Amino acid sequence: MSQIELDVRNLQVSFSTPQGIFSAVNGINFQLHSGETLALVGESGCGKTVSALSILRLLPEGTAKIVSGEIIYSGRNLLSLNSQQMREVRGKEISMIFQDPMTCLNPVLTLGEQLSETLLQHNNLNKKEALSKSAQLLGKVELSSPEEKLKQYPHQLSGGMRQRVMIAMALACKPKILIADEPTTALDVLIQAQILELLENLKKETGMAMLLITHDLGVVTEIAERVMVMYAGDEVETGPTQSLLNSPNHPYTKGLIASRPHPGLDIKNEKRLTEIAGSVPNPNQRPTGCSFHPRCNWVMEQCKTLKPISRNFNQDRQYSCHLEPGAI
Amino acid sequence: MNDNSFLEVRDLKKYFPPRESFLGKTTNPVRAVDGISFGLEEGETLGIVGESGSGKSTAARALLQLDPPTSGTVHFKGHNLTSLPEAELRSLRKEMQIIFQDPFSSINPRRLIGDVLREPFAIHNLKDNVSESVKELLNQVGLSSDHAHRYPHELSGGQLQRVGIARAIALNPSLVIADEPVSALDVSVQAQVVNLMMDLREKLKISYIFISHDMGIVEYFCDRVAVMYLGKIVEISTSEEIYKAPGHPYTEALLNAVPGLDPEHTKQKLKIRGDIPDPSNPPQGCSFHTRCPLKEKQCEEMEPLLKEVSPGHHVACFLKE
Repeated sequence: MSQIELDVRNLQVSFSTPQGIFSAVNGINFQLHSGETLALVGESGCGKTVSALSILRLLPEGTAKIVSGEIIYSGRNLLSLNSQQMREVRGKEISMIFQDPMTCLNPVLTLGEQLSETLLQHNNLNKKEALSKSAQLLGKVELSSPEEKLKQYPHQLSGGMRQRVMIAMALACKPKILIADEPTTALDVLIQAQILELLENLKKETGMAMLLITHDLGVVTEIAERVMVMYAGDEVETGPTQSLLNSPNHPYTKGLIASRPHPGLDIKNEKRLTEIAGSVPNPNQRPTGCSFHPRCNWVMEQCKTLKPISRNFNQDRQYSCHLEPGAI
Repeated sequence: MNDNSFLEVRDLKKYFPPRESFLGKTTNPVRAVDGISFGLEEGETLGIVGESGSGKSTAARALLQLDPPTSGTVHFKGHNLTSLPEAELRSLRKEMQIIFQDPFSSINPRRLIGDVLREPFAIHNLKDNVSESVKELLNQVGLSSDHAHRYPHELSGGQLQRVGIARAIALNPSLVIADEPVSALDVSVQAQVVNLMMDLREKLKISYIFISHDMGIVEYFCDRVAVMYLGKIVEISTSEEIYKAPGHPYTEALLNAVPGLDPEHTKQKLKIRGDIPDPSNPPQGCSFHTRCPLKEKQCEEMEPLLKEVSPGHHVACFLKE
């Protein structure tokens, strides 16, 4: 097995709101190996973005609190770094792209100004060098006439082009790890295919590891080697993509796969889609025991009181359910 | 074509006029919907697919006369909607309803669910047994009658979209336009809402126009599919045919780009570069030629028209001629 680039151990994050304190992430564990793509999959509110933001320590101060856990990156616990040390990691070692490129780019600065900012922060360059480096970066993300683009503002670009700029910015300092938070959700399906291909090519070229956050199992199949499925702040199931999608051990994973109509589904014989009953619980009203039990078709008495702990299956898979492997 | 068909749209156009911006520049007129024609039979479901900016939603709104179309006609059950007086149009609206994409922004957050569902009856002056009807509606969409006393923020996205559906079917419409009804919902809830719409179709004999960018759900849900690009229909056929033998390179690209769970599928054959052009400045000739990997010389000069390539299957592409 390849080297572990990032090791998240028992990460627990809580938020304090006027309605009280609730837990957004309840002690999750995962490892990101060098050069691989790991996808965090789940629905809104399952804690996937909060987990990612914790890695870069970008959670809103005041309301969010990392209750416990360790995030080990190259021998250091990121959670115990001071803000100066953290700033050296952010953007240089680990960088991030976000869902909506329009709200993440500064509308009143040119692309050149925004791109060179990262470069100037982390490298010993002068302004001119930074700008020519920026143009190179824009070329790398396959934008046409990069020199000209440096003088343009975000509103002059389309959504797909903006996302390319975001990617260029994130890759400016050749990070070891790229966190991509729903990088294609705001984009049309044709543009999505282009961006996924670009990410994959850049990953191959640079050898970086990628943590991909998404709700779309289709996107996962396209580019992720491993998957971790999350539900209501818990890790549900982890494993290599194909093995996990072919034989899920957790009812939630199975439900997610089945509820999706995909080309090739036997329409004539399957009149209805397989649905998961109910809806995702509010973070402040999570059920006792296994948080999925009210929606689960295989619920047993113990699921209502006893929270399942993650257990190993084969060598490379984990899942958190009281059912035996192969029971569903 | 005949005027007695259920719904017949002919050469529907919706242009947005040029505007002067605060810097004194005038924008070009936007041809959001540029002459589309299609028919819909009773009980049929037509899917409209395309990228954002292709004019899907504008077409739906123009069809319902929510935004009056620039030109063209819409015949619905023998009435020409475009020339109907306001009062008659209003009473005909009972028959045609719409479900919007985001239930949180299309349902008034300050009103109880019950009041939201009472409103269609009030608008059309129907006073009998309204409370009963509201209860029944809630049951029909899989909610309990208690939900009538709750506010929208107390419901989840999936539940609120059920309210949106209940509101649309309140007056027993025969035509429902669903504008991306599930794309704002969580994945595990989407299947519930699609199943609900399917059950209602069987039970209430509703004809749907289903607007979506999700080719998977469209294939599953629709009898026929129209593919739109820059305000025009570039292909229309039965969904079976479109998915088996797409005629237009754009349709093929859309189908290829859907990430499937099957690893064999993944790598797309037809690669599309670049973005959808600015609709205020559409390209000459075939509007898709700027992105088309198969384009020929004539595509840049002439505009292909919709032609029937096999019974009921129309494609606007020179390569199919």
